[in-house]
Amino acid sequence: MNTRSGDTRSDIVRALANMPAALFLSWSDTKARYKRSMLGPFWLTLGTAIGVGGLGFVWSTLFKMDKAQFIPLLTVGLILWGFIAGIVTESSQVFIQNAQLIRNVQLPMFFHPLKLILRHLINLAHNAVVIVIVFLIYPPEWHWSAWLALPAFLLTVLNLSWMSLFIGMFAARYRDTETAIANFMPLLFFMSPVLFKAEQLGVGSWVIWVNPFSYFITAVRDPLLGHPSPWFVWPVLLGMTVIGWLVTLWLFHTRRTRIPYWI
Amino acid sequence: MAHLIFEHVSIRYPIYNARAQSLRHQFMRIATGGKIAAEAGQTVAVTALDDVSFELKSGDSIGLIGHNGAGKSTLLRTMAGIYTPDSGRVIREGRTATVLEIGSGMDPELSGYENILRMGMLMGIPLKEMRTKIPDIEEFTELGDFLSLPVRTYSSGMTMRLMFAVATSGQPEILLVDEMFGTGDAGFQERAKARMRDLIAKAEIFVFASHDHKLLGELCDRVFELSHGKMALASGFNENRESI
Repeated sequence: MNTRSGDTRSDIVRALANMPAALFLSWSDTKARYKRSMLGPFWLTLGTAIGVGGLGFVWSTLFKMDKAQFIPLLTVGLILWGFIAGIVTESSQVFIQNAQLIRNVQLPMFFHPLKLILRHLINLAHNAVVIVIVFLIYPPEWHWSAWLALPAFLLTVLNLSWMSLFIGMFAARYRDTETAIANFMPLLFFMSPVLFKAEQLGVGSWVIWVNPFSYFITAVRDPLLGHPSPWFVWPVLLGMTVIGWLVTLWLFHTRRTRIPYWI
Repeated sequence: MAHLIFEHVSIRYPIYNARAQSLRHQFMRIATGGKIAAEAGQTVAVTALDDVSFELKSGDSIGLIGHNGAGKSTLLRTMAGIYTPDSGRVIREGRTATVLEIGSGMDPELSGYENILRMGMLMGIPLKEMRTKIPDIEEFTELGDFLSLPVRTYSSGMTMRLMFAVATSGQPEILLVDEMFGTGDAGFQERAKARMRDLIAKAEIFVFASHDHKLLGELCDRVFELSHGKMALASGFNENRESI
């Protein structure tokens, strides 16, 4: 039951089987964070609404952009960025912060990244209310291809899952990782098409496409707003999923049992 | 039938210092071909368990003694499957519950009731089943209205009561308890002892690390002493104790 090899698969399978527990815990974490506040988790929604509203009106006025075009673009972009950046940044703490739990309760290791992602999905669900409101005010041109946003989002979550596990392990072993990630995230923000579309940069748009997060935002957002995505977005997204998971699984397989000693 | 078998289990524990956990030093080590590896790469390895073998079956209640740092907690964590042995094999069959470190798995901001469900979920007990155990936990802990208050308002003894009650409520087949169990008051210790006798009577495995020799003598059939990662049967324990 507890031999060293061959347990990697069972670790992930058991973590997925523990999904109800992970969901319960991430929901109770969300509640705990807003425990003594009146609005509770709806502070998330309100915070996003204020941010999107403020930035949307200031920037669209400043750069003389069409509000009906710019505000939906910004809303979806910012909310997706918040989801991605939240997971990536917090992943560097995913094992370290759960050190006490890991050292005392026998849980599958993948349980912790899974819980983190579920918690951010809960946050995203709260923020999605803002997207719905913005779409009601500025209805985009719907097209059947809007459904493509769903598989794109699924691929995004699959990618963020391996990233979370990978970063979590790496950061547990090398403590510089956390600070490094925290410092690079603002740079990556400006290298992602949150405030604009990649095409608007013209020849300089390669800057956007070296940032892996740009593919997530583009693939999910373009169908929602009725734009076509560049042809290479989907192949890159799929390739990233496969290669990322292979590398992470190998690392997880060889180093998983060391995690309790690192933290 | 629960059982817990250790076959020549050794655990070496790497202690990482700040340098070993620094990415820059790792790069330096590679870049310089390991010439300044002396400090960057080397981690002190502590042998926490050294070729430990034993076999526990249902009905065994084992005490562990040993001075601080002898490897008691490491052994308990290896028994729980948290640490994986470097060599040797651990075979564990049976639902395992642990009471190792005070407050683990609890969220101090949440109430006692919410934490009961939380810890139950972490132990793999479904929410519905855990809810049915609440009356039993209420009765055992005698925490009354405190269960509706956040756990951060609890004293360590109260936290201990709650942890022990939750850990034992799932009818574990293997129960592993570390020494901090002594923080409960006399009344709680009596009830805890009674509950453990029940568990032992139901033919489960119980392992208890403690410095309290009297308590160990009362609860455990056999007491092992750990020293420098080796395990040996300790003498002077069960002579004048009636069997359970």
